[in-house]
Amino acid sequence: MRTEDLIAALSADTTPGPRPERRLALGLVPALLLALAALFAFWGPREALAAALTGTTVAKTLVPLALGAAALWLAAELCRPEAQPKALRVALAALGAAAAAVFAMALWRYGSAALAIEMGRSSLWTCLQSVPALSLLPLAAALWALRSGAPARPARAGAVAGLAAGGFGAAIYSLYCDQDAVLFYLPAYAAGIGLVALTGALLGARLLRW
Amino acid sequence: MNKDSNRSADWEALMRAANRGDGAAYARLLREIAPVVRGIVRARGARLGAEGCEDVVQDVLLAVHLKRHTWREDAPVRPWLYAVTRHKVVDAFRARGQRVELPVEHLAEVLPAPEGPDPLVARDMEKVIGRLDPRAAEIVRAIGLDGESVAETGARLQMTEGAVRVALHRALKRIARLRERMIE
Repeated sequence: MRTEDLIAALSADTTPGPRPERRLALGLVPALLLALAALFAFWGPREALAAALTGTTVAKTLVPLALGAAALWLAAELCRPEAQPKALRVALAALGAAAAAVFAMALWRYGSAALAIEMGRSSLWTCLQSVPALSLLPLAAALWALRSGAPARPARAGAVAGLAAGGFGAAIYSLYCDQDAVLFYLPAYAAGIGLVALTGALLGARLLRW
Repeated sequence: MNKDSNRSADWEALMRAANRGDGAAYARLLREIAPVVRGIVRARGARLGAEGCEDVVQDVLLAVHLKRHTWREDAPVRPWLYAVTRHKVVDAFRARGQRVELPVEHLAEVLPAPEGPDPLVARDMEKVIGRLDPRAAEIVRAIGLDGESVAETGARLQMTEGAVRVALHRALKRIARLRERMIE
């Protein structure tokens, strides 16, 4: 086939492709609502949820939420093949560094013995299972949306989609989780979110090729 | 430089018109893009031969087509086009067992391929069209090879124009997917 013929066929196809931003809104909102409903149905809210959300423990919800939002924004940017979203990457790195700094301060203050106690709790396993479970639908929705994009590096875009889904999943999980020690929830949530990001990268490498 | 930026401004206008369903503007844009892409492919892939290069050019044009909604209307077309080209060219060479270094900042310096006297034929597309279902293959051939309009094809196949458009869109998506599988 001559290239001129291909151009004739292409230019006759005036059906526009689906915009990834639109699909993100279309898919992610119901996925997040379903995940939230699942938490209340199968996990149940923690004791005194209202009090937890008005005190300083609200950080346990807000930090993953902020991570999810930033990663979602970055994922939408990465749908453009020429995207070089430096500012966003810096923002994500700063969020990670801030979390690491808070963790280091807590570790310095309470000592590694406290960390060992916190990591010995059975809640850790609940968290490591629940955060990915609650992130599953949001991750599927995000990957579906990103399939209509053109990310220069599919695995990276998938990882960022996983970071977004994991952040939202952890924020939702925090409504159940009653472990409020920084030495518990920072590493536990980070590990849970990391698992989702890794899943996103592995799936993205295949699903987001174009 | 001035001439170049003028031409580039045209591309944004053409692309916007294309996104609003202006097929003529879109065809013109693709015809202007093709030699630029061909220049890049040939500069890197002399070993592929003329036909092999044209296969890659067609891969790029298909990707431009199916991903054109990822271009943001307030952005220049060229960086977007170079990114799409780079992605598909690297893919195509990898599939053919060659590694190619293609720093995106160098793409703008590659000269467009000169207009040749011969029609540029590629091989892969025929194989892929042959694997479509017969109706889809017929629509692609009629509009591409025979130069029929959507309306003419619809009248001949007793389909509405809308149905022909949907079938064509699906066929092009499927072609892109089949070609990717060929590459794997």
